[in-house]
Amino acid sequence: MLSFFPTLPIITAVFLYVFPFKKAGKAIAILAQMALVAASFYLFFAVRQGDIIDPIGNYDGVLGVILRADTLAAVFVALVAFIFFVAALYRFHEDDGKLFWFFLFIWQGLLNGIFLTGDMFNRFVLIEVVTVVVSVMIMFNRDNRSQYDGLLHLMVNTVAVKFYLFGIGFVYRLTGTLDMHAARVALAQIDNSSLVLPFALVMTAVTLKCALAPLFSWFPKAAGTPGASTVVSTILSGLHIKSGIYMFIRFQALFGEIDASGFFLIIGIITGVVGFMWALSQSDIKLILAYNTISQMGLIIAGLNLSDNYAHVGSIYHVINHTLFKSALFLCAGLVAKAYGTRDTSEIRGVFKRMPIVGAAILMAILGITGTPFFNGSISRYFILSGAGVATTGAIMLINLGTILVFIKYSIMLFGQPKPGQGAVPIDNFKKASVLILGILCFAGGIFGEELIRFLFNVTASVDAAGYFEKTIFFILSGLAGFLIYKYYLKTSKLLAKVRQVEIGFRSMCTLMGIFFAVLLIATHLIV
Amino acid sequence: MSSNMLEIASVFMFFIGFYGVITSKSIIKSIVAISLMEAAVVVFFLSFGFIDGIMPPIGTDLVNVADPLPQALMITAIIIGVAVTAVNLTMMISLCRQFNTMDWDDVRKDTE
Repeated sequence: MLSFFPTLPIITAVFLYVFPFKKAGKAIAILAQMALVAASFYLFFAVRQGDIIDPIGNYDGVLGVILRADTLAAVFVALVAFIFFVAALYRFHEDDGKLFWFFLFIWQGLLNGIFLTGDMFNRFVLIEVVTVVVSVMIMFNRDNRSQYDGLLHLMVNTVAVKFYLFGIGFVYRLTGTLDMHAARVALAQIDNSSLVLPFALVMTAVTLKCALAPLFSWFPKAAGTPGASTVVSTILSGLHIKSGIYMFIRFQALFGEIDASGFFLIIGIITGVVGFMWALSQSDIKLILAYNTISQMGLIIAGLNLSDNYAHVGSIYHVINHTLFKSALFLCAGLVAKAYGTRDTSEIRGVFKRMPIVGAAILMAILGITGTPFFNGSISRYFILSGAGVATTGAIMLINLGTILVFIKYSIMLFGQPKPGQGAVPIDNFKKASVLILGILCFAGGIFGEELIRFLFNVTASVDAAGYFEKTIFFILSGLAGFLIYKYYLKTSKLLAKVRQVEIGFRSMCTLMGIFFAVLLIATHLIV
Repeated sequence: MSSNMLEIASVFMFFIGFYGVITSKSIIKSIVAISLMEAAVVVFFLSFGFIDGIMPPIGTDLVNVADPLPQALMITAIIIGVAVTAVNLTMMISLCRQFNTMDWDDVRKDTE
């Protein structure tokens, strides 16, 4: 049953390529997406009874390759289905050509495969292929800039995947199996000192996939490249990067005996701070959003490494929320950039007047991402903070303040007067529907936060009214502080201009990867 | 050579390849270095399946045979590696035609 999720998108892709009907083909694609959304809903209820295991090729147990779905995998698969459904709606009236849709759905099938496979080598194959597909999507329009960004994405990720493959080679030698569950049981019996090198190798690759500091430089290039289609940037920033988070959770569980959570907590917080610094220094709307994604990844990783169950649930809920609001923001950014003919935030004014529905969707997503009370971001942040100590709370508040600053800068384009001659922009209903669905879900995720968490993770987590009120006060204070800092300091700051000039090429990225690997190796040695 | 020596050699080879990735200025040399890293991983996988006097897993009379899985995995890895290298090279050629250079730094400067 699980093999339905990777195969249906690929069948759809091939079908659309072989029979390129214009509207009919896209309608079929949207029907297939609806089927996937429905199937992923069904999967939620099915995994309540325990993990679902689907052996490929009918080999029993650890001998063959298996697909395995548990609660976490079901959540991620549902996200994939939902975001690709929205993306297909968004592109319904565009004339993309058959190749674009072919690659889009291949991408979906591969992502589903990454989330469902229980085999480490299988995951390597899927990651390698998805890297190629994403690179092709980035450089699809073949202008100079996106070709460079696409090649950079491909080569940096290929190097990282070699680290991963080497790491699982060690795991196989130690355990004799590539099945994640069997390997976890076997690794628990093994002396920790022999796990140091495989842990460092695998985690270096996973860190790069999550775009954590210092290995994040490939991500804004890939997601923020001017030539790439809006949908590609949306899926990269909203969904694709989450496959890194998923692998992080899985491999941290695999090497359960090595507790490097302190190390990754620090890395997460550094990522959060560095991400918003860079986001503040940009003026390109896509790049602001891409760097903000990095900052949010830092927050998620920090939450995952707190030793508290509520913080874990909050982090995974934040993964979902981030997917929703970042997708909304990217899709709207594409519409705004097209309407204004520029991507420079300082030249865009009066989005509300020209495109009220898009403006409303952007506003809802911004309220979500900054953690405004009653929106989804506030719930996930509440749970992350509930497990944090004093120092971590301070750091997370700082990251949140940074996010607020970034979006004060970003939201200025919503208001004001458009330039003369810029009238209302006609937008087709499919696009309106797709951004509105995402925007409204940001609100619904806040109102029904507790119920959603119970439904998604089967965990009862209640929001304490007094605690929530306290966080609300914090939010209002940091909002005020953000406004004042923006008005009196940031507009004239020279520091950010310097930050913007830092440009990291392929060799520097690989050098950073080497340094990170060495530091992680030493840190792991000290922990063990 | 014992399998242990091969393993150590493969670790060295991997990091020699990585050194090449870090230091080579030309895009094509980076691609070659990545292939070297991959070859190191292949050697590593094959080395721990190798024990003196063991038989290859061929035929029906299977006693005292090597673990066939590493070889099967590495055939897959080599095929994927070849495909990815081909994509890398294609993209590199396309890039070089536009920028008239194979140097990472020059290409980066031109995109700014």
